[in-house]
Amino acid sequence: MGEIQLLYNYLVVGALLFGIGLVGFLTRRNMIVMFLAAEMMLQGVSLSLVAWGRFHDDWGGQVLVILILTVAACEAGLALALILLLFQRSGKLDIAFWQTIREDNQPKFIDQELPDETRDKPHWPQLTPAGIEPPGKGQELDHRIHV
Amino acid sequence: MKLETLMVLIPALPLIACLTTACLGKKVLREKSHVPVVLALGTAFVLSLLLLFQVNTESQKAAEAGKTIGYEKIHDIWTWARVDKALVQEEAQKVDGRADVAPKAPAVSNFDIRITLRADPLTSIMLVMVTFISTLVVIYAAGYMHGDPGYWRFFTYVALFVFSMTMLVSVSNFVLLYCFWEAVGVCSYLLVGFWFEKPEAVAAGKKAFMVNRVGDFGFALGVFLIWTTFGTLNFHDVTTDGVTVPGVLGQMRLADPKLYAIGSTTALLIGLGLMTGACGKSAQFPLHVWLPDAMEGPTPVSALIHAATMVTAGVYLVTRCSPLFSLSPTAQTIVAVIGGFTALLAGLIALTQTDLKRVLAYSTVSQLGYMFLSLGTGSLAGIVAGMFHLFTHAFFKALLFLGAGSVMHAMGHVIDMRRFSGLRNVMPWTFRTFWIGSLALAGIVPFAGFWSKDAILAAVHERAHDSTIFTLLYWSAVLTAFMTAFYTFRALFMTFYGPTKVPSEAGEHAHESPSSMTVPLMILAVCAFGVGWYFEHTHGFAEFLVRTPSLAFAPVHGHGLPHEFHMSIAVVSTLVALAGVGLAAFLYLGHRKEVTVLTGIMQSAKLYQLSYGKFFIDQIYALFVVGPLWLLALVCYAIDRYIIDGIVNLGGIVPRAVGSMLRALQAGMIQFYALAMVLGVLVLMGALLLWQIG
Repeated sequence: MGEIQLLYNYLVVGALLFGIGLVGFLTRRNMIVMFLAAEMMLQGVSLSLVAWGRFHDDWGGQVLVILILTVAACEAGLALALILLLFQRSGKLDIAFWQTIREDNQPKFIDQELPDETRDKPHWPQLTPAGIEPPGKGQELDHRIHV
Repeated sequence: MKLETLMVLIPALPLIACLTTACLGKKVLREKSHVPVVLALGTAFVLSLLLLFQVNTESQKAAEAGKTIGYEKIHDIWTWARVDKALVQEEAQKVDGRADVAPKAPAVSNFDIRITLRADPLTSIMLVMVTFISTLVVIYAAGYMHGDPGYWRFFTYVALFVFSMTMLVSVSNFVLLYCFWEAVGVCSYLLVGFWFEKPEAVAAGKKAFMVNRVGDFGFALGVFLIWTTFGTLNFHDVTTDGVTVPGVLGQMRLADPKLYAIGSTTALLIGLGLMTGACGKSAQFPLHVWLPDAMEGPTPVSALIHAATMVTAGVYLVTRCSPLFSLSPTAQTIVAVIGGFTALLAGLIALTQTDLKRVLAYSTVSQLGYMFLSLGTGSLAGIVAGMFHLFTHAFFKALLFLGAGSVMHAMGHVIDMRRFSGLRNVMPWTFRTFWIGSLALAGIVPFAGFWSKDAILAAVHERAHDSTIFTLLYWSAVLTAFMTAFYTFRALFMTFYGPTKVPSEAGEHAHESPSSMTVPLMILAVCAFGVGWYFEHTHGFAEFLVRTPSLAFAPVHGHGLPHEFHMSIAVVSTLVALAGVGLAAFLYLGHRKEVTVLTGIMQSAKLYQLSYGKFFIDQIYALFVVGPLWLLALVCYAIDRYIIDGIVNLGGIVPRAVGSMLRALQAGMIQFYALAMVLGVLVLMGALLLWQIG
């Protein structure tokens, strides 16, 4: 396998990674998934850099990739922290919720009205209590609500 | 004390008082704001008296030595502005192309403005008068303005005014004279509009300022012409580096009248320019319209500024510049005609006014006209008589105004004479002093006004021998004297006689004013009674005044002062004044049936309306001056508002328009932004490819 062929293979994989990441970023509305897609684009570019670096027999590509990894790590920390904050504010991970940052007097974007959730009340079997009541029950339930 | 110290201290004390009340009045002094002002002005008065006596002694010595023309003491403080070679004339100009006459101005003149104070008889008389009246007025105002929210502001303005006025009469330079001329105008504006929440007061202040602007414009032109003609603006001679520049009214020129040889047209124009300024400040026709309106200000201000001191600045100016006026007999005649006409006009208007202060205001205009008439005779006797009338008028007119203020104070700020009467029992002291003031104004022997008015009539009569104009002016002055006596006593009788009637605004407690107000009235009454007789008897005033350099100038001085008393003229004027008083008594004492009949006759002849409507001069100005200017202002406003502002606003509209187009892109959808970015990158890459291929 020649050098060119090897480069082609890596570039194809890199382009695929980038393309999948791009499409994922543009189409998904879950912030965490969007973040993952962005990471995927970074990896696609990094792969291309490494491939080109080898092709040109130059360490610069790898150096740059290590830099990208570092930056990506930082970015991951920041992005997840931001997402966490946004989630705590709204209780949603949907990026469309934050379209309120639009300019004044611009129409609201509504892609689809969600149907009202009409679910039957769950029926739990009525059993005679057995054993002892688990300790700290109220506290635990409180905690679960927030998870 | 040294003369220089006195000269500096007299204006400095009011200035210090002004700054003190301005800084501390609102928070610290409050109801005691008058204390520093009264102290400063009182001290300034004492110092002015000292100055007067020193100048008197010195000038007597100088007159005996005979080396100088008159007596003047110059005190140079510092150089304010200096521009070398400010005026370069191509060649030393010859007057009317004649070589035998000295050049009228040096070829190269330096514009040299020094803060220089002068002391001469004219200045010291003005200083004594200003500080005396202002001291009494501030004492009076401490009572009159009591409880006013702007108490401290009032005394600050008054102190500022006294500073400006003392400087006005002390400076020895036309530029500084102009500065303080404006400064007293500003003080007048501030004090007329003192109650600035009252629309009439604001309008009156504005009117006073605007009308004065017209006069000051003429004054400025006169000063410019003096500069190009004489190449200096100092009154006195200035020696710098061994070169002496003869001042406009300096010893060199006064000693050698050839240095005054300027073209007759130039002399006339200078005279007219200065006279326009004097007309504005001293409320002479056609610029007299502001003074009656200025009565909107507090009454002590009307007494101090609009009767006794500031309005006499014009008379002071003409007297000071009498050597310049003596160069142009035409200008002098115009001064006399304007003065005589104003005296007559204002007298006619005052006959029918029902507002006590307005009557006095028109009477002030009329008396100022008298002074101008007297100055316009151009003879030494006339000028001295004008200044003498200024001096006596200050006392009795301040007295009358303060009396009117006392009435106003008791009547709850009602000043319409139809709404009160018979106050002689309610306000005994105001009544008595008002009587004395009225007698003085009407010119009854032996009150102050009689002597000065008689001197004026004598001076005019002297000129009447050789001039038809002055004959006319003499008889119009006699008629004015009759009207003066009539309207003064009309006001007196309407206010203090008849059944006691008090307007509802006064409440139940109409009473005599506090002693801080009546004591100044009494002091002024003594002066209004005594000064005329005293100075006429001793000739002290005239003999002192003619030692002023401007009046000692040979063409002005002539053969000196005639000392005889003109019995025939005195008899005429006394008879005329008594007739006026008698007519007023006949019409306004007791039943007023005759007044109704007379008014009816006058009304049917439309003469009453003419006088009551002030000859509709305000309306004429509104139509022919204010209206067109208002239209012009409207056009300017429209240009500014729609064209200039339009262009400026266009600069703001463009970014906003672009922004509103791009705003639709900011939809808040993150994926849309990302997509736009991707597409943008694709477009760029496509362009790059195309470029590289191409």
